Formats: sequence, structure tokens, C-alpha cells
Amino acid sequence: MNILIAIGGKEYSKPTLDLGMKIANSFEATTTIAYVGKKISQFSEKDVSVVHQNLDDRELYRPGVRTLEWAYDFLESKKYIKKNDSSVNFNDNLIIDEENSRMRVLLKGSHSNKIDLILRTGEIIDQLRSEVESNSHDITIIGGGGNKGMHHKLVQFIDSSVMVVKNYSVNKKYKILLPVNNSLGSNKAIEIAQQFAKSKKMAVEIITVLENKSSDKELKSILKKTEKKFTNAGIKNNITILEGDPVKSVVKYAKDDSLVMLGVSPKNPILKYFFGSKPISIAQQCNCPVLIAK
Amino acid sequence: MLSFLDLLNKLDSMNESYKIISSSMLYWFSQKKWFVFSVLLAIFLLNLSTPIGLTVPGYHSLIILLMVFTLVTFEPIPFPAIALLTLVLQVLLGVAPPDVVAASFMNDAVLFVMGSLMFAIAIVHQGLDIRLAKVIIRLFGKSKRLFLAGLMTISAILSSFLGEHTIIAIMLPIGLSVVKNIDTKQTDGRNAVLLTLFSVAYGTIIGSIGTPSGGARNVIMINYLQEFSSIHIDYWEWMKHAYPILIIQLIVAYFVLQFAFPTTLKNIQIQGYKKKVAKSNTRNNINHLFSSIIILFIVTCWFLFNEQFGLGIIALCGALIFMICGMVSWEVINKNTNWGVILLFAATISLGFQINETGASSWMVEKFNVMLALMPESDLNLSWPFMAILTGLTANFFTSSATISLLGPMAIELQPTDISFALSAAIASGFSFLTVISSPTAMIIYSTGLVSTKTFFKVGLLMFTSSIVILYLMSKFYWVTL
Repeated sequence: MNILIAIGGKEYSKPTLDLGMKIANSFEATTTIAYVGKKISQFSEKDVSVVHQNLDDRELYRPGVRTLEWAYDFLESKKYIKKNDSSVNFNDNLIIDEENSRMRVLLKGSHSNKIDLILRTGEIIDQLRSEVESNSHDITIIGGGGNKGMHHKLVQFIDSSVMVVKNYSVNKKYKILLPVNNSLGSNKAIEIAQQFAKSKKMAVEIITVLENKSSDKELKSILKKTEKKFTNAGIKNNITILEGDPVKSVVKYAKDDSLVMLGVSPKNPILKYFFGSKPISIAQQCNCPVLIAK
Repeated sequence: MLSFLDLLNKLDSMNESYKIISSSMLYWFSQKKWFVFSVLLAIFLLNLSTPIGLTVPGYHSLIILLMVFTLVTFEPIPFPAIALLTLVLQVLLGVAPPDVVAASFMNDAVLFVMGSLMFAIAIVHQGLDIRLAKVIIRLFGKSKRLFLAGLMTISAILSSFLGEHTIIAIMLPIGLSVVKNIDTKQTDGRNAVLLTLFSVAYGTIIGSIGTPSGGARNVIMINYLQEFSSIHIDYWEWMKHAYPILIIQLIVAYFVLQFAFPTTLKNIQIQGYKKKVAKSNTRNNINHLFSSIIILFIVTCWFLFNEQFGLGIIALCGALIFMICGMVSWEVINKNTNWGVILLFAATISLGFQINETGASSWMVEKFNVMLALMPESDLNLSWPFMAILTGLTANFFTSSATISLLGPMAIELQPTDISFALSAAIASGFSFLTVISSPTAMIIYSTGLVSTKTFFKVGLLMFTSSIVILYLMSKFYWVTL
């Protein structure tokens, strides 16, 4: 499994990194930490590139490198990664391999985990989409600081599951909130939730929302099956049936200590683009981390 | 009958490949919406009747101009694609025959853009910043404020001859070295960093107005003047007009920055940097000596032989000498030269020529004068401030050289016998103080992550306004004495 963690400024990236690495470790996944720098106008892109090469030569690294260094130190301090050679520091390891708008910060020393540090410059959706496409990432994890439109575009255009880390506290104890339905995306969300809950010994609240439709019976049956699946796997869980509008019900039910995991909408992409979807609305309105599985 | 929404819902039941295709198309649309918009706008305008007084080719050239403005501002397609589209449309819409378009595609201004970009890469590749840092420390190292003033002055002088994209690449490492470990969370530290970065940036931006070789826009305007008017201006003549403005602007910029970023400068590490620079061995670097000789030779040639050989050919000579001497490889130049920008300038200059040839610029000027006539009567000649502010503002959202290549013919048309109009337009377009997209310098300091667009605009507004006032006063009271 491949996981992509997109980080921005140092102050706001701690929760994203922490939760991202917890998920990555639970899947024993290869992790890419990507910093997407500011978009450069085509008029100046070569000039900026020349200046950045110059700065690297003088050890005055471009801002993204320092953020990646901070991320690396943070992960080491939290023991998410372990350096095999403690005498080697970040600067000694640093080599920047540049190919167009993507740069790999190579680390010469050996490490216990497979971590790639990537610097990209450009429009964020475009860069993350390109990163996911070229490296087949399964989950993209990003902080919740961006605007709502950005989260919409991420879910719409990035070909991986997307997690928006909003209002996450590193030291708080979380439980998974798993809204289930009859979509393919929901099955994927159940898989991810099961693996993560088992690895981190987390409790799971499985819910479904009935809308007085013909599918209500099927939803109840899915809820029961999911409960059985988690119980058989030895995961502490409880089930709840809600009624009404799915978005309002889930948003109201989710608490600050919830970690919502739900499936992507099977709706037509054109409709989704212009009118949004239930999972996108939930991710935008919930005040806690939300994963939309694809 | 099925409604559109019903139809889309029916499509839901279709297979996954439909969803992938529609998702890809949506992504394409979301990325290219400004391209779609500009095409639709062009089609709409083409279907309207030609405005009275304007020829059909002239009208079509203005439609292409509008498309280019939209595409360059929002960048939905690569610059080389915009350049090719400009050329293709000129022929397809009957603005000019293919031979005429091809002939206007290459001239000395385009050669200058190409030569100066390649020359800049060759110079930056020599690593002259440490040697330059030694000179600045020797001359201005007595106090921190003097050092920053020196950084700004040296940046301006060098940028006036070698162009801002060359000098910002050399000077920025010096500026960043002295603010390397400053804590920017505290106001004093943050202001010290901003003061340093803006000193370098404003120095290079202001410097670029000083001589024709300071920026491509200057050469483009000289070229247009030669083609469209009887006025002729050489290297020295330009300097006599522009350098005093540069000096006054530098003084104003120094005080504007002190006012905008009050700081004690206690965190700036001049001493540490002085020691570091002293340790670095530059004494026996033969490349530095040769580089300096080549640079001096090229600048002298610009002074003495610009009329004989053209500024572009001389700039190309500079890059050529560096390559022949083996001081820079073709691979380095090829990798770092922005060929897209060269193509775009060539295409916009070609369009600029057609706007003039088809009479579109005269028509625009006529409309401009009609608009001015509607203003309340005043002793002031309003066309000058309008033109200077318009080019200055446009350059901030569209970059200076592209602005001059498209609006230059109209600025000349306003007063074909008065040099002050054309010169003011070229100089005002160099006031790229408002937005980070306006010049390579602005974009480079923005890309460090230490300067926000908001800060750039706030300080820039003060600088832009004072620069326009300085330009007006100089054109009114100093240029008339020359």
C-alpha cells in the first residue's frame, strides 16, 4: 500500500503527519511526504529554478526543504521512523534530484521505514493528482486548512482515497465513525476502518442512515453484516441506526473525537462537480478528520 | 421527455469507464476553463459587426489581443502554445499574410530577449555572488543599515546593465545568508528578513529601468520607436532620461522600506557572514576574472555599438563568448533558458506590429482621446498620467515586457513626435511593485516563502504611487531640459 501525506506550513502539519503516519504504520505502507510549494508563473519558472539551484548550492535551501526536514525530525521524535545511523543528520543526507516540478529529497542514511520526501511546485490539486497518478498512491492525506472548494476538487479529481485531517489533536483518543451504505466505496471504507482499528486497537461506531426508501432494508442488512465482520475480527464496536438526511445526521452524530471513514459517492461525476455529493458535504461540514474511500 | 439531470442519472448505471472518461473531461475543463472562455469570447466578438472606423483586420487583431491577455494572465495553456496560437490566428483571421507574420516574428528585440536570458544563465553559472559579497562588505560593511543600503544600490546598478533576472539570482543568496537563522515569528526578526529581501528586490526592480539592457521592455520600445515614429533613442540617451529617476527612486525606496519594516536589525548576522565570506577561496578563480572581463566588454559594446550591431546581437555575443571559452555548457543554457517566454515575446511583438499596421492602435488612441475629452476641463494634460498608470497597472498583472509589446504601439501613437510618452510607458511598465507575478524578481522573492502577496502589495502600493509621481515630475521638469 502507498500513502501520500501532503504537508504545508510547519505549524499546521503536525496533526496531518501524526495521523497520516498512524494510518501508514497500520498498513505497513510505503509513505511519501510531499510539500507543494507556491505556483510559479510561466514567465518566471526558469528564473526561479536557477535561483533555487543557487540557494541549494549555498545551503540556503528552498523553503520546502526546511519543512521536510522539520517533518523528518518530527517523525523521528515521535518514533514513527528510526534512523539506523544516528551520526548522520538531515543536511549530510540531503541531495535534491530535480525533474520538472517534482524534486526528490534523497536521504543517504538507512532508515527503518520506507519514506520518500518529495518537493513539488505548482497548483496543489494538479500536483497531488500527478503524484498519485505516477506513484499509484492508495490514500492521500491532507490538512483541513484549505478552503472547502479545494476539498471538493481533491475528492473529485484525485484517484485515491482522500483523508482531510481537520481539528485533530495528537494526544486525544479517537474512535472510528463508520457510516455504511450499499456503495462500492463503502466496502472500501469498511476495509480501511477494519485494518486501522485492529492495528491501533480503536473502537468503531458503525452507523447507517435510513431515508424511508426502498433500500432501507438492505442498509440494515449491511449494518448487521459489518457488525459481524468487526466482531469476528475482535474489534470493539457498536451499531446505530439514524434517520433523516444523511449529511445532517452524520455531521450531527460525529463528535470531536470521531474519525469518520465513509465511501465515495457513486453519483455521476458531472453532477458531483456541479452539485457536490453527500460524502463531500460531510467532509466539509464535520469538525473532525474524514476519510473518503475510493 | 427526459430532462438533462435524468439523463445524467441514467448514465450512472453505465460502466466505470464512462465515469473515468467524464471525470477526465471535467478535470480538463476545470484546468482549461479560461481557454474555453477566451475562445467563446473570441467567437462571440467575431460575430459582431466591425466597429465604425476600424478595419476588419484591425478588429480581428484586437480580438487576438484580448485572447492573449486572458491566456497569459490565467495561464490555462503553456506559453509556447499561446505564442503559436497568436501566429496561427493572425493568418487565419486575415490580419496579415503568412510571409508578413513570419517576418515580424523575429527582430532585434526578440534576439535581445533570447541573448539576455542566455547571457544571464552564463553569468549566474560562474558563482560571482561570493566575490560580490566581499566587495559589498568591504564598501558597506561598517553598519547593518549601510550594508542593506549597499545591497540595494549595488543590485540597482548591476540590474540596470545586466537585467533584473540576472542580478536577483546573484544577490538573493547574499541577502538570504545574512538572515539565515532569524526567527520570523517575532515582529523584529520578521521585519529584518523582509527589509533585507525587499532591499534586494526593489534594488533590482528599480535598476531595470536605468538602461535599455536593463529589461526586454526597454529594447522592445526602442524597436517600436524606430519602426513607428521618427524618434530615435540610443543607449546613452536612454540613460540620461532614466538614470536620474532610478537614483531618486532608490532614495525613496530606502525610506519606504524603513517605514514599512521598522526593525532594530539586531538579528542580522553581518559579522558571521563576513567571516564565512572571508574563508571562501575566490582569489584564484580564473573564471571570475574572465567573467568580469566578458561582462565589461559586453556592456561597453552596448554603449558604443548598439546602433551598429543592435542590442540583441551584442547580448547573444555575450552568451557565445561564455560558451566558446567553455565557461558554460550548452546543456546548462538549454536547460535553464525559458524558450516558452522567448516564443511568446516573439509572437506578441509580431501582434504588436500588426495592431499598428492595421490601424487598430490609431483607432484605440482615437477612442482614448474621445474618452479624455469627456473629462472635466483642466490645465493638466490627462493623457500622460492615464497612459503611465495604465501601462504600470497592466504590467503588474501581465508582466512588463508583454505589456509593452502589446500596448507600446498605442503609447507611441498617442504622441508620435514626443519621446516622453513612449519612454514613460516603458519606464512605468517597469514599476512591478504591486503583484508577485509582475516580474521574475517579485516571483523569486515570493517563492522563498518568506514574503506574502499581501505584504508585497501593501508596500508596493506606496512605492508604485511614489514612482508614478517621480516619473511625472521628471518628465515634466527634467526631460524638457535635455
